[in-house]
Amino acid sequence: MVLDKLKRLGETRLEVPVSYKKGMRVPGIIYVDATLEKDLEAEAVDQVANVASLPGIIGASLAMPDIHTGYGFTIGGVAAFDLHTGIVSPGGVGYDINCGVRLLRSNLSRQDVSPRLKDLVSVLYNEIPAGVGSKGRIRLGAQDEKQILIKGAAWAVEQGLGDHSDLEKTESGGRLEGADPSLISPKAYERGRAQQGTLGSGNHFIEVQYIDAIYDQKAADTLGLFEGQVTVMIHTGSRGFGHQVCTDFLEVMERAAGKYHIDLPDRELASAPFQSPEAQDYLAAMRAAANYAWANRQCIMHWAKEAFMKVFSSGPSALGMSLLYDVAHNIAKVEEHVIEGRKTRVIVHRKGATRAFPPGHPELPEAYRQLGQPVLIPGDMGRASYILLGTAKAMEETFGSTCHGAGRVMSRHQAIRRAKGRAVSRELEDRGIIVRSSGRETLAEEMSEAYKDVTSVVDVVHRAGISRRVARLRPMGVIKG
Amino acid sequence: MQRFELLDITGDAGIRAFGSDLKELFSNASAGLFHLITGGSPVSGTIALEVAAEGSSLEGLLVSWLNELIFRFDTYGFLGSRVVVEDLWKPSEGKGWRIRAKVFGEDFDPSKHGRGLLIKAATYHRLKIAETDGRLTADIIFDI
Repeated sequence: MVLDKLKRLGETRLEVPVSYKKGMRVPGIIYVDATLEKDLEAEAVDQVANVASLPGIIGASLAMPDIHTGYGFTIGGVAAFDLHTGIVSPGGVGYDINCGVRLLRSNLSRQDVSPRLKDLVSVLYNEIPAGVGSKGRIRLGAQDEKQILIKGAAWAVEQGLGDHSDLEKTESGGRLEGADPSLISPKAYERGRAQQGTLGSGNHFIEVQYIDAIYDQKAADTLGLFEGQVTVMIHTGSRGFGHQVCTDFLEVMERAAGKYHIDLPDRELASAPFQSPEAQDYLAAMRAAANYAWANRQCIMHWAKEAFMKVFSSGPSALGMSLLYDVAHNIAKVEEHVIEGRKTRVIVHRKGATRAFPPGHPELPEAYRQLGQPVLIPGDMGRASYILLGTAKAMEETFGSTCHGAGRVMSRHQAIRRAKGRAVSRELEDRGIIVRSSGRETLAEEMSEAYKDVTSVVDVVHRAGISRRVARLRPMGVIKG
Repeated sequence: MQRFELLDITGDAGIRAFGSDLKELFSNASAGLFHLITGGSPVSGTIALEVAAEGSSLEGLLVSWLNELIFRFDTYGFLGSRVVVEDLWKPSEGKGWRIRAKVFGEDFDPSKHGRGLLIKAATYHRLKIAETDGRLTADIIFDI
């Protein structure tokens, strides 16, 4: 059994020793406790080891407690590479570039929303395009699309979809510098044209929630959170556009890996040296896709606000709807970290992992600077989601990163089989959760049992100290693709 | 003969396609993809498109071929029903493989077609084309 070769490092971490697999340059570290260890897939552990064998990797190949098998890199994977000797890999970002989460708070309470919940879910479902074959509300010309790739969320704000203050509450201000629209293929442009402002399908969602537990009152006060408060969580990414960018560059990077003699244990790990033109081109295209995603979440948030205004016949200030924060969880960024006592710029890949910067970090907005970065962890549609804060320990141990969600434990077919003869939407309704989905089997595929319990995932990152709990959110209404 | 079967994989969707030769294998893999997108509801073949792709290896060709079909659905809402592979060859000059085929199908209509999985990309993950007793199989995992 492969898992026998792993070494436990205290309650919340497992080491994948360098002896685990030939070619490993550094160990792997997986953040799991004894309970989550039981769900650990051998293939995912192998992927942690494969990443540890890539040139220029720094410290360790890391995996968060929501780890599961991905393509090349695991989901829940974090890896930082040296800017001179290291590589860049699209597999370390994933197909859905800048898939991420934002959370909108309101001054409504659960009691205010409950009586209108069905209406609200219907309006959200009708206003926000979602699901297979859905058409977006925005029609873009080629020049508009280029503007989105350069400006990110600010483009949406310029169109009247939101407010300038939203940008400072978005990771990286909702825009990465260094995006180059000239590196985007005609196919990616075509695919992205009608998908700006669409939710997508699969695990993407909009959820109306309420805060049912607060773990840190002081932090909650600073963040403007209170018990019973209604929030809206939006989980989506760069849609077909980002996928096309990833697909296009996997080919480029595969050729590059051959050209630069990088030994690949898996084709999905295709990489090129950070300094190479191939890697720099990928990063410039990836930044464009990341900006597309931030614009997307900004548009959707605006329409979600409008849906509330419609249902409650109130203005935006009366409803007190404002963005708490927006995080990316599939991205690669050049960041400054302390490596062997020296401040060093490295390229951090987060694939299904969230940035969790500590209090005092210059990249945090003024309002949260003393507190640490808000981290948003979506759970499955029946259980819970969490608001956490980044910590200094995350900076020391995980390149300022933490988990991103629950992580699947069941395949989609398994879930569909398990749900056979059951009415998932009815079961949720009996528990006060209203769901709408356009997909025929989406609700079965996405049922709670198909996921790890997010509470146990969050529990591990909290105990490990790489982020800390502030509040728990319970679902009330869910819109799925 | 069975054209394809669905593979069970946590987090994603996959198919195993069968064929007595490469042309049939690629045609059946395409049928498997269309099945995942609609959940198996019937699609008519009123529109015909010429589609071509190339790849550095046979596996690479299968990935880029399926990605062509995914692109046409995700961008233009074109849903295939049937693929007739006209030519699948290894050019004598240059490297890699090529395919040229006719794809029959129609425009996606949510009132008529099932909304299955929103397939976003064919991947190299566990990708395998194998031959046993003269029968070809291809395993493909899709990102959704």
